[in-house]
Amino acid sequence: MIEITSPPVILIAILGTIGMILPVISILRKEKGSSSLYGAIAFGALIASIGYVVYEVFTNQIPQSALFSGDVLANDSFSALFAIAMLIVSIMTTVGSFNFMRGQSHPAVYYSLILLSTIGMVLVAYSTDLVMLFVAWELMSIPTYVLAGFMKKNPSSNEAALKYFLFGALSSAIIVYGISLVYGLTGSTNIGVVIAGLATLDPQMMPLAILAVGMFIAGFGFKMGLVPFHMWLPDTYEGAPPTITALLAAGTKKAGFAAALRVIIMGTVALNLDWSFALAVIAVMTMTVGNVAAIMQKNISRMLAYSSIGHAGYILIGLAVAPFTILGIQGSLFHILNHAVMKGAAFIAIAGIVVALGITNIDKLKGLGRKMPIISIGLVISLLALAGVPPTAGFWSKLMLFGSALDTGVPSWAPWLAIAGVLNSALSLAYYGWIIRKMYFEGETEKRIAEPKSIIAVMIFSIIFLVGIGVYPDPIIDFTKTAVPSLSALITPSG
Amino acid sequence: MADSVFLAISVLTIGSAIAALEVRSLIYGSISLMGTLGGIAGYFLLLDSPFVAMFQIAVYIGSIAVLILFTVMLVRRQLIFTKVEDPRRRYAGIGLMLIMMVALGAIILSSGIKTIQTDAPPIDFRTIGADFLTYYWPALILMALILASSVVGALTLARREDMEDDQRTN
Repeated sequence: MIEITSPPVILIAILGTIGMILPVISILRKEKGSSSLYGAIAFGALIASIGYVVYEVFTNQIPQSALFSGDVLANDSFSALFAIAMLIVSIMTTVGSFNFMRGQSHPAVYYSLILLSTIGMVLVAYSTDLVMLFVAWELMSIPTYVLAGFMKKNPSSNEAALKYFLFGALSSAIIVYGISLVYGLTGSTNIGVVIAGLATLDPQMMPLAILAVGMFIAGFGFKMGLVPFHMWLPDTYEGAPPTITALLAAGTKKAGFAAALRVIIMGTVALNLDWSFALAVIAVMTMTVGNVAAIMQKNISRMLAYSSIGHAGYILIGLAVAPFTILGIQGSLFHILNHAVMKGAAFIAIAGIVVALGITNIDKLKGLGRKMPIISIGLVISLLALAGVPPTAGFWSKLMLFGSALDTGVPSWAPWLAIAGVLNSALSLAYYGWIIRKMYFEGETEKRIAEPKSIIAVMIFSIIFLVGIGVYPDPIIDFTKTAVPSLSALITPSG
Repeated sequence: MADSVFLAISVLTIGSAIAALEVRSLIYGSISLMGTLGGIAGYFLLLDSPFVAMFQIAVYIGSIAVLILFTVMLVRRQLIFTKVEDPRRRYAGIGLMLIMMVALGAIILSSGIKTIQTDAPPIDFRTIGADFLTYYWPALILMALILASSVVGALTLARREDMEDDQRTN
């Protein structure tokens, strides 16, 4: 049995308890009082959680390679990396919501659902059993369906929630179908046992195993926003409250990658399938569709939603070259962590703009650099990091991803992935540059206005993180290196 | 014998699922949904899993479907959405479904699934219970949190904002 003091159990205890208590406090207070109180309690719980995970990492109590476990949860550095990324996103969302939720109804439920969804996200990364993975997946998704539609009087928010729910339910059904197939084939739901079972499968059963892996790709692909499973994403990201969009784009999406790394990559290796080329094609399609569509957008939330699809394509490069080099997955993990902060910061900045000015149209961002200088600089840094401009964190992770595709000489198509990635990054700079131009080079008569303080706090953190990692990336690179061997031990031999 | 029962259950399940989607009246739709859920319980019985079948009937038909029926009867019957019908979408959906069914059927038939042993003893429900409290205990806690978040979220979304508290109590 998993130890009671291991991080996933402690996270369930802290976040679950506070998540359940918040609505009760609200009822006891008769739903009166400041919404910041609930935000502060949620913030405290999240800080305690991330503090515990970081403490465990720094005191070397987390084993480096424990990809599979005889239990439903594994406490390894791979999971710890995802847990830290997701907890950072949840903290950014919670703090960013202080101003956003002022005057809105049901703040206690709002923060409670963020905490419960965070447990799901983190537990997806820790899961080593398919039933556990699915239950965590649902705990991550169900609160976000509600949060996407939290602005009940806003038709866009309702549309966002409904689309997200329908596609989410479909993806869950597809994942369950995949789980039932592998359970039928191997007689177990433990991922380690399943992988071992698939490796020694009767060749006659191979089509069913391939079907199961295909189901996992489709099911997790919906959440990751891979083309052609991305249709729901722009409408949902545009319609949902921007703080919740930050949670979706930077948090739940990354949980999809955690699940994909544990299940799909391992499954393809066990089945000895050459899916690398298929993943490479999906990667190029995803990044190209995302970036080309982003150029045509006039709404900044929608533009960033498409850019998010593009980034899913970049991360997929690492997964496509995973059987040939460990640098691929390392680059993916690094970019997942960076993208969580970059995209989270960008959407929280939009939340700040919505709170102060109520606009999301790019044409109306004229002179924003003068009106809201701190939020603007935070947005600019996150956009530059998304484009991969040095010295920001995004530069290093993109370098590692594209470098992994160039370095591995085995499949002849691999360098083309790097070329596609560089071209798409150049393309993305065009639309990020357009936003920056509007903010700083137009509307010169604009006067400064008051900026939401909680959003400023998130911006300052993001600037320090993105520039700090950009200047001194070594600690994070080392950390991602410790998370990779657990995967590469299995992957490298088949290459 | 099993084949004819399987076919009968399949017709019931799929037929009532289509009816649940297509029938205009919400009440008839909910009753059709009960038929689908009952059909699924029938599959579990055929698969020698009476325990799961019993829970399928107790939970899905006994409580969830009845709850849906009550909700349908209690809410205002006022159309809040304008239905936009597009026959092309309907045909595209049916076409996509047929392609999926044929593809999945072909994969299943081409695999050696017929050789799977079907005489394995049914799983003892005590084992399921013991597994939930030992191996799957974190999943059990998460399920509780899922239910709690669903209830809290649904209540928040369903609550009418245009009513004051005193109106609500009256």
